[in-house]
Amino acid sequence: MTAAARGTPTERYRRERPPVSRECGEELTRITDDIDDPVVKLRYLQSALNEEGDKSALVQLVPIAPARRAWYRLKGLRALDAVADADEEIAERTLAARQTARRVVVGASAAAMLFIPVLVAIVAWQVNRWRSDPERVASVGSSTEANATAIETTTAPLVVPQSTSLTTPPPAAEGPVNQAPVAEPLAAEDMGIVPSMIWLADRGPGWELYSNGLRIETAYTVKGTARDYRVQTRDGTLLPTRFNHPMGILFHTSESDLWPLEPGYESEVRKGSEALLRFVKREQAYNYVIDRFGRVYRIVDDDSRANHAGHGVWARGNEVYLDLNSAFLGVSFESRWEGGRTLPITRAQLIAGRNLTHYLRQRFAIAPEMCVTHGLASVSPKRGLIGYHLDWARGFPFEAFGLPDLYAQPLPSVALFGFNYDSEFLRTMGERWPGLIAAERQLADEARERAISLDQLRYERQANYRRWRAALPTPTAAESGLETPASQTADKRG
Amino acid sequence: MDDRNDHGSESSGSGSHTGQSQSGTRTRIGLDVGTSKVVAARGDNVSPTTDSQLNAFFDVPYSALHEQGLKANRTPFYREDDRLIVYGDASEKFAHIFNANVRRPMAKGILNPSEPQATHVLETVLSTLVPVSRNPGELLAFSVPAAAPETGHELTYHEETIKRYLKGRGYTPLAVNEGLAVVLAELAKEGFTGIGISCGGGMCNVAISYLSIPSLTMSLAHGGDFIDASVGAVVNEPATRVKAIKEETLDLTREGGDKIDKALHIYYDKLIESLVEELGKAVQKTPRLPRNDQPMPIVLAGGTSKPHGFRDRFEKALRRRSWPFQIGEVRMASDPLTATARGALVAALAER
Ligand SMILES: Nc1ncnc2c1ncn2[C@@H]1O[C@H](COP(=O)(O)OP(=O)(O)O)[C@@H](O)[C@H]1O
Ligand SMILES: [Mg+2]
Ligand SMILES: [Zn+2]
Repeated sequence: MTAAARGTPTERYRRERPPVSRECGEELTRITDDIDDPVVKLRYLQSALNEEGDKSALVQLVPIAPARRAWYRLKGLRALDAVADADEEIAERTLAARQTARRVVVGASAAAMLFIPVLVAIVAWQVNRWRSDPERVASVGSSTEANATAIETTTAPLVVPQSTSLTTPPPAAEGPVNQAPVAEPLAAEDMGIVPSMIWLADRGPGWELYSNGLRIETAYTVKGTARDYRVQTRDGTLLPTRFNHPMGILFHTSESDLWPLEPGYESEVRKGSEALLRFVKREQAYNYVIDRFGRVYRIVDDDSRANHAGHGVWARGNEVYLDLNSAFLGVSFESRWEGGRTLPITRAQLIAGRNLTHYLRQRFAIAPEMCVTHGLASVSPKRGLIGYHLDWARGFPFEAFGLPDLYAQPLPSVALFGFNYDSEFLRTMGERWPGLIAAERQLADEARERAISLDQLRYERQANYRRWRAALPTPTAAESGLETPASQTADKRG
Repeated sequence: MDDRNDHGSESSGSGSHTGQSQSGTRTRIGLDVGTSKVVAARGDNVSPTTDSQLNAFFDVPYSALHEQGLKANRTPFYREDDRLIVYGDASEKFAHIFNANVRRPMAKGILNPSEPQATHVLETVLSTLVPVSRNPGELLAFSVPAAAPETGHELTYHEETIKRYLKGRGYTPLAVNEGLAVVLAELAKEGFTGIGISCGGGMCNVAISYLSIPSLTMSLAHGGDFIDASVGAVVNEPATRVKAIKEETLDLTREGGDKIDKALHIYYDKLIESLVEELGKAVQKTPRLPRNDQPMPIVLAGGTSKPHGFRDRFEKALRRRSWPFQIGEVRMASDPLTATARGALVAALAER
């Protein structure tokens, strides 16, 4: 929107006006306290306080993800409360969720309270629009269906994503959506006939359909730099073979803006996903993105490396992988890793992700222990710490994907290279997972055997890491800048 | 892609998802159109660059000799009929060579209605700071004083004249109250809540801002010029001489010895007193004060606030009265001479 289009902006900075209420002011102050850039801060305040027409702009304008989320959360919480009030059973079963939400909401609920009346208006307006334009919603279903074919055959309990669990669709909506948002395991394999092979069953402009129900959208696909990498062994030998196909899958969450997954937000949800896809395409950030309706998008083609991993360490058997961008396909779920134990993806995403994993594993003969999460592999070489990126540092549903639980396996970065963690990491994670404990025990045992200090051992291993990395033909150091795409609204704490 | 080490990237980089781009804002300008000086700020708000031009001129009868002299000195001037008009920074320096008095296109914060050359000179001064926009419709925020009872219509005329000129140079002008501009420049951390005060040559401007919304603006039609003239009158010295002494030697923490110094102290006190007095009255009258438990921070800017000790005196005067809000920290702007322009730039950059 141009300045000129917005009435008489020329009066805004000079005409005396009554100040906003104290409560509103305090909430706005709290929100904007975290904004350092004066220009961004002013832009937000001015829009929040002056904008009259385009009210939906308000929430998008909050440049702080937590505040935005709090707003959605509180909104969701209210909807949930409304339903719970009407039904005792629902009230009971959503109690935990509502309590969790309340706890999270407290700090940043600011935005929410401020905009609740506005929100009501938006929702009303959007619902109206949606009613008069049903095709738009219908079109969303087309590819979802393909990926959701497994739904009918599975008897597994419903996995409720956090974002939707806090909100509740209109009471008329079918299906139980009111369960507490915990990551419940899906059966490893579905019932029904599972073809032993996965093949390309059909294709059209912009899509491919595979025999397991996987549908891949290809409209955003780009070619990147061809994979060309080498692998080291545990004794530091650089294997002579040059590989040009992926050997693993690294799972991510997109950490992008999320709108509530409920009726009334169709265009925002769609725009949000499109913005993410454009971003991923421009930055060649992942090979695949799975949106919250379970649509699978191929962005960087399989033979090219995507910039998804930054610095990371993974190992399988005798092989050690330090150039993860080259060796791993990046698969990202449109979601945020909230740091908790709840599963932050939708059931549609889970099913699509599982189908995609099956397909990729078959196509590239990927070993199950090579399907790992970013949070498990990511390191900060400069600081010698694990967990530089934390997405899926816990909570990835390995079992539901038919994969071994890699949270239980000794963490390679720690066991092999002596990476450490700091108190901030522990605060975020709450506790160490079994694989981390196991890796530390290995280190400690070895230090004892060799009668050196643990620090000494870590120091040696870190030196190894630096030497091995330097020996790699692909300069992974050059990727450091890609670890944090600046425009991704990164969620630090989850 | 969950990164716990990139503190601060959230606010700086939130743009790309929502498609807000900062690019193309580099040519935006914040302009302080002051009685004695025009200051332009451009660039980004972190390290803006500022330029200024004295808002003054003098004219001498045309003669080939004068013209040659000016040309030889690369002095900016233009010829109008039978007169040569020297403007901007050079005017003060060269006025005495030509034995001429410096004049001002503006008085008391607005175009001087009794100065026939006013509009043309002001536009010429502005032209040295505001290039024709390469980006038609580019945003330019310029400062305007708060209306004083005696300057109602004239303020409108002043403002419209400037707007028309700026539009002609390809800009979309955005008027920013001068006191508020000080708030925008200096009180970002405080959420643009507080009191901005700019004491210039022709006037003092005050804005009480709550979250960047001006809830009270007022001005006093006195400033540095008033001090110069008053002191000059009582010590029988030309105001320009008083001005030079004031700018070079005045220290309000020390009661000086000579007549001029004593008189300067007296009239500074008088200016401060009447500003605080007028602000007190305005605050009494307005129904619009922010209801805020937090103490209101106060920022002082403008050339007249520059002497050592001004802040202390102002704070003392302020705290002698009672206010319907708590007075917080009273501090000087980081650069008092450019605060207004920098604040206007923040406003210009914040537009989308
Ligand atoms: N160092 C100084 N000490 C005292 N007064 C100063 C000093 N520098 C400038 N001034 C005074 O400040 C006034 C000009 O301030 P400025 O903010 O540029 O004014 P305006 O906004 O009216 O253009 C003049 O009266 C000038 O004498
Ligand atoms: Mg000024
Ligand atoms: Zn990631």
